[in-house]
Amino acid sequence: MLRKVIDLITSLKLTIVCLAVGMALIFAGTLAQVHLGIHEAQQRYFQSMFVWWPPEGRGFKIPIFPGGHLIGAVLLVNLIAAHAKRFRWTWRKLGIHLTHAGLIIILAGGLFTDLFAVESHMRLAGGDTKNYSEDMRRTELAVIDTSDSDLDQVTAIPDTVLRRNRTIDHWSLPFRIVVRNFYQNSRLKMLSEVGNEARPIANQGPGAMIAVEPAPRATGVDERDVPSAAVEIMPKDGGSLGTWLVSDALGAPQTFSCGGRTWMLTLRPSRYYKPYSVTLQKFTHEKYAGTEIPKNFSSRVTLIDPERSVNRDVLIYMNHPLRYRGETFYQAGFQKDDQATILQVVHNPSFIAPYVACVIVAAGLLVQFGFHLVGFSRQRRNAMT
Amino acid sequence: MLLANCGKNSEIKVYRVSKAPLEESTPQQQDAMPTNTAAPRMPGAVAPTAATAVTTPPNWEPQPLSQMRQASFLVKGDKGAVADISFVNLGTAAGNALDNVNRWLDQLGQPPITEEKLGDIAQRLRTSLGDVIIVDLAGLPKDADPAQDGRIIAAMATTGNSTLFFKMRGNADLTEAQKGDFIKWVAAVCNAQTEIGLAQTAAIPPRESGLPQIKWKTPESWTEVSPSSMRYASFSASAENGDKIDISVVTFPGEGGSDPDNVNRWRGQIGLPPLDGNAVTSQIAPLRTADATFSTTDIVGAKARTIAAWTRHDGRVWFFKATGPSAAVEKEKPNFVKFIESVRF
Repeated sequence: MLRKVIDLITSLKLTIVCLAVGMALIFAGTLAQVHLGIHEAQQRYFQSMFVWWPPEGRGFKIPIFPGGHLIGAVLLVNLIAAHAKRFRWTWRKLGIHLTHAGLIIILAGGLFTDLFAVESHMRLAGGDTKNYSEDMRRTELAVIDTSDSDLDQVTAIPDTVLRRNRTIDHWSLPFRIVVRNFYQNSRLKMLSEVGNEARPIANQGPGAMIAVEPAPRATGVDERDVPSAAVEIMPKDGGSLGTWLVSDALGAPQTFSCGGRTWMLTLRPSRYYKPYSVTLQKFTHEKYAGTEIPKNFSSRVTLIDPERSVNRDVLIYMNHPLRYRGETFYQAGFQKDDQATILQVVHNPSFIAPYVACVIVAAGLLVQFGFHLVGFSRQRRNAMT
Repeated sequence: MLLANCGKNSEIKVYRVSKAPLEESTPQQQDAMPTNTAAPRMPGAVAPTAATAVTTPPNWEPQPLSQMRQASFLVKGDKGAVADISFVNLGTAAGNALDNVNRWLDQLGQPPITEEKLGDIAQRLRTSLGDVIIVDLAGLPKDADPAQDGRIIAAMATTGNSTLFFKMRGNADLTEAQKGDFIKWVAAVCNAQTEIGLAQTAAIPPRESGLPQIKWKTPESWTEVSPSSMRYASFSASAENGDKIDISVVTFPGEGGSDPDNVNRWRGQIGLPPLDGNAVTSQIAPLRTADATFSTTDIVGAKARTIAAWTRHDGRVWFFKATGPSAAVEKEKPNFVKFIESVRF
């Protein structure tokens, strides 16, 4: 039995099957982007162990195809096992060993990127300074204790917790948050516009005058969901402070008092705070003369890091990102009226893996073909003499 | 591998951050510094000129002033490193920016640059005096001591009748370390120039510096006055007995702090104690105009009174506030309401 398992995981047929299945997955995932959008398709097809049917949220689901993580993991195990089984150390095989090592690093690097890379955005209008970036695909309920005169204490509850937990009881809060409704995407309308049949989902703050309609998930590249939720604030010593509507569409946070402190409540894109800040000095959007065709985008920013005494200007433009403290700032977009720039902020601890892997694979191929070339030349010389 | 299906963002996080910018922050806080950056100490030592009216970091040693220099400091670093900091106020014939930058480059033994190159390297700092051009130049002249030379960071502000030069020259690493404080000092001096009226004619109102344009109809009895660096617009109204009412329009990007915080700050300004959040909320009334819905409040103190209206529009918060003696504000309140109703974004 063990031998059969070893034979299976070291089989080169398994490699071929994995590659074929991977190709089919890429084809299906690419087509799925039409209806799901690139982000959702990536998550369901490539960043999962299985592709499920029907999609999540229907009460049941059946795995119908291996997902990207499963295929990648099997391929990685197969590659390592097959290589280990057939491993024989000779100089003549150095090229093959190097090439395999490079492929293993590529696969492992891809997996680590999927697991640990964090992508977010920093939107800056002229003169704006920010020390945080935002993940427009994730949402958090920020419960902010504003009592201190200098610092706000923020309890950030991610949307994954809001979706999963009916009641949130956290040590940092003197109250429980009971999630009455959660909408991944929604439309907000004033009750006066909707008619008598609509009922508000909240009874406190502006939410008491607003109707919330669920909406299908946003799939376009330039669209995003407008999440909303109704949360009831229940002090831990008893009673209720009412149900509040929190929504990304509301804008201003709402305020209430509890436990002798003043709190703010807001649903917003997830934030990643940084120990440094970025100020936009100038955004430039050049076009080819006489056309609306973009030629170049660039953002001149000032990077200020008080911990490291850094205060310098940086020009970020296409293919010239700013790399600082393990994060990379790319010129990703801009506001339509050119009044603001959008920088993509990527934290990827394994970003170096593909570069290292490519160098190793290239070296391996050079060595391997070099041996063959030298051998061939020798044979030819011997034949001629 | 199962980790792959666990969300990267599934934990509740607790952290502390600096408060959002508030409406009436001090000029030092206005210098677009990060909210979590410690600003250099700025205690209120008041002196007759703008350059000395702002306090400098403790490691800046004041030096005797020359005929040219209106402020002079020496900073000492490790291993004998020094940097010399100066402030000079010249007339309009001080030459253009390129001439001066090339003069400084020459002092560092570097070749001159073109106008285009200057555009690339110059950084602009927005102050109440207008945009200040900042350049950071490196180079070590022949036979110079690297402990004392190697870099010039200079700032230049041109007003209607003068040109202000700020210069820090010295050891390259030390000037780099001092750059943040130097820029804050430049901004503070420029803002102080406006505050003490040395360069009022050159003060550029924020309305001309890229902020969104909004419109309103100013009541006839109000007089528009030059706004300070903080304000988008400023008005004054007089009562029959000569009492003055100060009306301000201020805008900030973002949410501008919570309503209770803002209202309690205004209460504090007229000597009233803060209220809890619910009490504040009960004193806020909506005012719907043709263009927006404003929150309004009326705060009556023992002698003074503040009426305020604010709204959040296109990612900015707009504060409109009138403060003055209670009776005068009461009389002016209808005009203030009409003013708010006339605001168009």
